[in-house]
Amino acid sequence: MPLDTSTTYPLTKLRLDGRRWNELRLLQAQISTNPASSGSSYLSMGNTSIMCSVHGPAEGRRGDGGSAGSGHAVVEVDVNVAGFAGVERKRRAGGSDRQSTRIATTLRSTFQSHLHTYLYPHSTISIHISVLSADGSLLAAAINACTLALVDAGIPMPGLLCGCTAGMSGSASTPRDPRHDELDPLLDLSLPEEQELPSLTVATTTVVPVGENNMDEDEETMKVSVLSMESKVHATYLETMLAVGIDGCSQIRELLADVIKGSRR
Amino acid sequence: MADRRRINGPPAGTRPPVYASLKESKTGVSERTLRQRQPTELRKFYLKTGMIPTASGSSYLEFAPSAALAAARSNPKSLIPPSSALKVACTVHGPKPLPRSVPFSPNLLLTTHVKFAPFAARKRKGHVRDTTERDLGVHLETALRGAIIAERWPKSGLDITLTIVEAEDDRWWGDAPDSHDASWGMLNVLAGCITAASAAIADAHIDCLDLVSGGVAALVSDDASTAPRLVLDVDPAEHRSIQSACVVAYMPARDEITELWLKGDSSRAALEKSDGRTGHEALIDGAVDAARGANTILTDAVRESIARSFAQV
Amino acid sequence: MSNQRQASSASQVPHLSPAELSYLYTSLSLPKNPIRPDGRSPTQFRPLSAETNILPGTNGSARIGFADGTQAIVGVKASVEKTILAADTLDSRSLAQHGDALNREGEEGSAAVSGQGEWVQMSIEIPGYRDDDALPVFLGEMMRESLVGSVAGGSEEVKEMAGGLKGRLVINKRWHWRLYIDVLLLSQPLAYPLPLLSLTTHLALLSTKLPKLKSTGEEDPFFDDDWAVAEYLYPRSNKQSSPSDAPTYPVRPPVTLLVIAVGENVIFDPNREEIAVADAVLAISITRSSDSENMKLLSIRSIDPPSRLTQPGIPNSENVNMLGGPPASSNQSGGQEEVGGVWRPRRGGVQRSVITRMIKTVLQKGGVGEEVIQGLEGVKVE
Repeated sequence: MPLDTSTTYPLTKLRLDGRRWNELRLLQAQISTNPASSGSSYLSMGNTSIMCSVHGPAEGRRGDGGSAGSGHAVVEVDVNVAGFAGVERKRRAGGSDRQSTRIATTLRSTFQSHLHTYLYPHSTISIHISVLSADGSLLAAAINACTLALVDAGIPMPGLLCGCTAGMSGSASTPRDPRHDELDPLLDLSLPEEQELPSLTVATTTVVPVGENNMDEDEETMKVSVLSMESKVHATYLETMLAVGIDGCSQIRELLADVIKGSRR
Repeated sequence: MADRRRINGPPAGTRPPVYASLKESKTGVSERTLRQRQPTELRKFYLKTGMIPTASGSSYLEFAPSAALAAARSNPKSLIPPSSALKVACTVHGPKPLPRSVPFSPNLLLTTHVKFAPFAARKRKGHVRDTTERDLGVHLETALRGAIIAERWPKSGLDITLTIVEAEDDRWWGDAPDSHDASWGMLNVLAGCITAASAAIADAHIDCLDLVSGGVAALVSDDASTAPRLVLDVDPAEHRSIQSACVVAYMPARDEITELWLKGDSSRAALEKSDGRTGHEALIDGAVDAARGANTILTDAVRESIARSFAQV
Repeated sequence: MSNQRQASSASQVPHLSPAELSYLYTSLSLPKNPIRPDGRSPTQFRPLSAETNILPGTNGSARIGFADGTQAIVGVKASVEKTILAADTLDSRSLAQHGDALNREGEEGSAAVSGQGEWVQMSIEIPGYRDDDALPVFLGEMMRESLVGSVAGGSEEVKEMAGGLKGRLVINKRWHWRLYIDVLLLSQPLAYPLPLLSLTTHLALLSTKLPKLKSTGEEDPFFDDDWAVAEYLYPRSNKQSSPSDAPTYPVRPPVTLLVIAVGENVIFDPNREEIAVADAVLAISITRSSDSENMKLLSIRSIDPPSRLTQPGIPNSENVNMLGGPPASSNQSGGQEEVGGVWRPRRGGVQRSVITRMIKTVLQKGGVGEEVIQGLEGVKVE
């Protein structure tokens, strides 16, 4: 029997790594890992581990010319997937591949709009991400690592931006039958699941509750700022996946908030 | 990095066909040619400057083919091509103004560019510079920068291009590819490059502290029982194995070394009892002696270059 | 273009004024006891923190961080590969053997068992540099050269390592391991990154495990699935006095040290400012000799000292602003003399005696090399 989620899950209600459908992988994070940068973080979600360092806001390079001369800070993102990150050692030509370029583009546009860049005119915030080990949910993990590093660098933002992946436990190509629901949505996919099942990445942000605000208002201020899906799924499942993903984001937000609070000395 | 712009030959090279009749005859198999020179005797080489009129300075260096190679050419006995001999052409362009994008420099900036011709080595080299070529470039730059009086040309650049027309073998071609574990031929190539570049720089009338020349010494063992001995100007094809080798760039007038590259285990050298030196000291001294030898030819070539430029005036 | 220029000078020149350079040089070249900017002794290394086996997806990995925030991560991955006897290796001698004794085919492949240096691949990534720039290429070749070059000298207890690292990678005549060593520098180098990279690679290789071979002889290799029984690439000796002791290694990977000479002094592990005033910079690779306790030299490379590219200072006698008149000597040669306290870019090379002294400080018994190796032996690699 092939060992994959779509065949084992209906029998055991457990995923390949033993998680239930709504469980996150073990998330560990640290901030201020690299004293040489303005802000840095290390984040691991299961076997995916990422180091992120932020330099700036600093004076932009001269060569940038016109675009940097605007009233906003410019966010630069550089993603580097290490050769030893995957199962097979990857031989890169020229230093970047399609996957890392895509992650870098998504991160750049996300954080460019998320951060309060108007506070730092004529400056550059450069983010460097090293993927040390890749086991699925790369974009989500990179978003979380960036958020931590930017918080460490003290760059103002309206709230923590947290990302998570969600998928379905089968190929989900036929319309969903509400009476006889045999597919479950899955939270936080690992690499084998990501390769096999439809999945999406969602990142949400909320305004940090200040003073009288409590968690009830969470729903009202919640904004989705990244939503990326590159696999085929029947439209009727999309709502379930999104709901699970957004729920995962709030779980991760609490974890990240704990990391940030815990590191205050 | 893969070269995608050209149609490249097979990476491992090709072999000429060998016919059965040749295999059975004894002449198909040849033995390694052994070193006939004394341990301290250098190979002869030819060095001439000003061969390329479009460059501000140029030189051409060619090692004399070994006796075995000469014999084999006139009377081929073996299927195995005999050893090769180094041939290097060097051009110097400059001093010239730096491009606008380069920040101010109070000194002359050197750019060295070492490139093997595709046919230079037994294994075909691509058109894109590979790691050994870049590595040699850094070594060469280190060697030359120490000799040039760089502050006399602020805001200027000097491009030094070396084309290796024929490279030195890393091993005798009859040996298995791993019997010589490192690319020993590169050391000889570097030494030749240093000497050739020095002549070309002098030909371009760039002020130097002294003529810097390259020399190689090695610890070789021709059979397994004896301890390795020191030879100058080693030809890797002539020895069963090389334990350690060293190349220096040396300026005789100041007795200074501007570049040193030593590799291999030199601890087992067989030196005379009275000799208090350790293996690596003996190696460095040997390489310096070889460089001194090369310097005599270099001086003559430069003198010739000066005489020619006076004659033109 | 400018990036390449920077890279080719092997280390960037820090922005120090001639006066600062001169001050630094004077304090570093004080006879007997140089004063270093951070108060270290000449042979003292910067404090560092190290951990090994940090990445579950690799065969071996290590991270080292210096206190100034420069960090390196090394991941080692291995894959099984078929040994290709390239067309040119079928030399005429083996052709001759074919001719007279085809049945002796088994013997002629013996040469392939000694391993090839190409089986170890090293790539270095430094932020701000392309991976084919001069600096990463030079550093990579330097470390690879000593790694594949270190052959343990015929001691019987370590028969796995008889042919050095290359020999260890041989599985049988037709198969071998290929080792990929990926070095990741996490931030722009503040100093010449060689010691950091070399130490990290050393620890990563010590923690590298290869799966246990279940096949024998010339069969196609297959391996034990159980990672717990995997064997270390650098074998450990079993004779430990107590389980809490750090395991001992009969053979260890080489270490490359960065040594500079300033005046009469030999200084180790220089930082960026110190390297900027060095008269000579050498990278010296050493390892512990397997048959004696002494240190063994594996390779030396000279590195272009950035002091050659610095801006000279102008002595008061020539400074127009100080004299209020034309300089006393306007000819070029007037600027060539050494004036005390005025910075001159280094010119020329190194005396042989200086090189000998630098090597001796590393190699001598109780010297720095031994100290470094002992320090590394104290690190417990999981």
